[in-house]
Amino acid sequence: MSGFAAVLRKDLRLELRSGESTLALLGLSMLVLVVLVFAFGAARARSFDAAAGALWVAMVFAGMLGANRALLAERDNAAIRGLLLSPLEPATLYAAKLAAAFIFMAVAETGAVVLMVLFFNLDFDASIARLAPVLVLGAIGFSALATLLSAITGRTRGGDMLLPILAVPIFVPALIAGVKASAAALAGAPLASMADWLKIMIAFDVLFVTAGYLLFEHVVGGD
Amino acid sequence: MNNSAIRNWLGFSTLALMLASLFMVFDWVPPDAEMGIAQLIFYFHVPLAWVAFASFGLVAIAGIFYLWLGDQLWDDLGYAAAETGMVFCTLMIVTGSIWAKPIWGTWWTWDSRLTMTFILWLMYGGYLMLRASADDTPEVARFGAVIGIVAALDVPIVIASVRLWRTIHPAVLVTKQGGHGLEDPRMIWTLMVALTAFTALWAWFLMLRFAQLRARSRMGALEIKIALASAAATDAK
Repeated sequence: MSGFAAVLRKDLRLELRSGESTLALLGLSMLVLVVLVFAFGAARARSFDAAAGALWVAMVFAGMLGANRALLAERDNAAIRGLLLSPLEPATLYAAKLAAAFIFMAVAETGAVVLMVLFFNLDFDASIARLAPVLVLGAIGFSALATLLSAITGRTRGGDMLLPILAVPIFVPALIAGVKASAAALAGAPLASMADWLKIMIAFDVLFVTAGYLLFEHVVGGD
Repeated sequence: MNNSAIRNWLGFSTLALMLASLFMVFDWVPPDAEMGIAQLIFYFHVPLAWVAFASFGLVAIAGIFYLWLGDQLWDDLGYAAAETGMVFCTLMIVTGSIWAKPIWGTWWTWDSRLTMTFILWLMYGGYLMLRASADDTPEVARFGAVIGIVAALDVPIVIASVRLWRTIHPAVLVTKQGGHGLEDPRMIWTLMVALTAFTALWAWFLMLRFAQLRARSRMGALEIKIALASAAATDAK
């Protein structure tokens, strides 16, 4: 089995056994959505912009939590050293961590979408299907960025506070594009009309997966 | 010419250029016909903007060289550029805000350029917070280099997305002219002098800070050498 598959399987298996990360992410997504429903007021329900915005806020917060946890497992007993001493290349380790973070985020997003439809009085129809590619692109980009950054922030004193401070400004283009495309998708616009936003998200994803792949070896290290 | 001589020369040049541009701005160039006296801030704001972005680019380039060559010199340069750039970026936002209030009637708006600048400011802040929250080890220097590179790579995408964001929404306020349409040649001269003055100021600050960080790094390296030498000496006894 390739190193990538081995690490990914390990992370997924750990998660399947305990389920605590998934529960935490789903719980956090729900709570963020609840806060935003109260923040916007019930009169704004059925607003596609508000729903899309709330969904993305929930995703970003859940994504940051997920990324932290993806590397947390390695910090116990300095397990990261074992990984680094193995023939596994740091870049492959990055790819595996990215894939794990993406899967966790995708699960959390699915739950968040369901809650969004319920809380914002939307419908489970074709617009949700159009939403899917936007959310996938967003999750890839955010997972790529957060996996790279959490390798850094996990090893500094600022730790948990530092990840949002670093990640959010850098994530802004994908966030703007994602919210706009999501709102358009919910409002019934065809994917072709969101082409510009999707292009930005694709460019972001390509850039950050590549950057993470190349730069991860410089930031990962033994504790 | 050694480094401190260059720095002194640069310092005096900056002083001369600054005095020249102050004279030109306040006594020579005619204010814009439409915007009046408030427009004069433009001659400080635009150079500050150029320097803030240039400094950010320098952080990224220094980061690349640091990861590639491993010489502490590049990290010191990047860190100095980040600190200096943060100062100029903050000034850019403040002068822009001061300009905006009389012209647009508001301290802030999510115009594409302002949004981009604010994101840049946040990125600077993130870098500095990262460096402040950890000791100055080579490992943390690598972290800083990666952040600098990643953030700089992001800048073009941020610009594209923010522009797209703002063109779809109707602009609430008229976007500022930003330096095009300078009718009077005196305006162009003043801008050029101010640009040179602020670039010199930035370079001077950068060199001063860089020299401090170099001295600190060298001292750190010397301390390690001394410790090793004395340990070896006690071993030899």
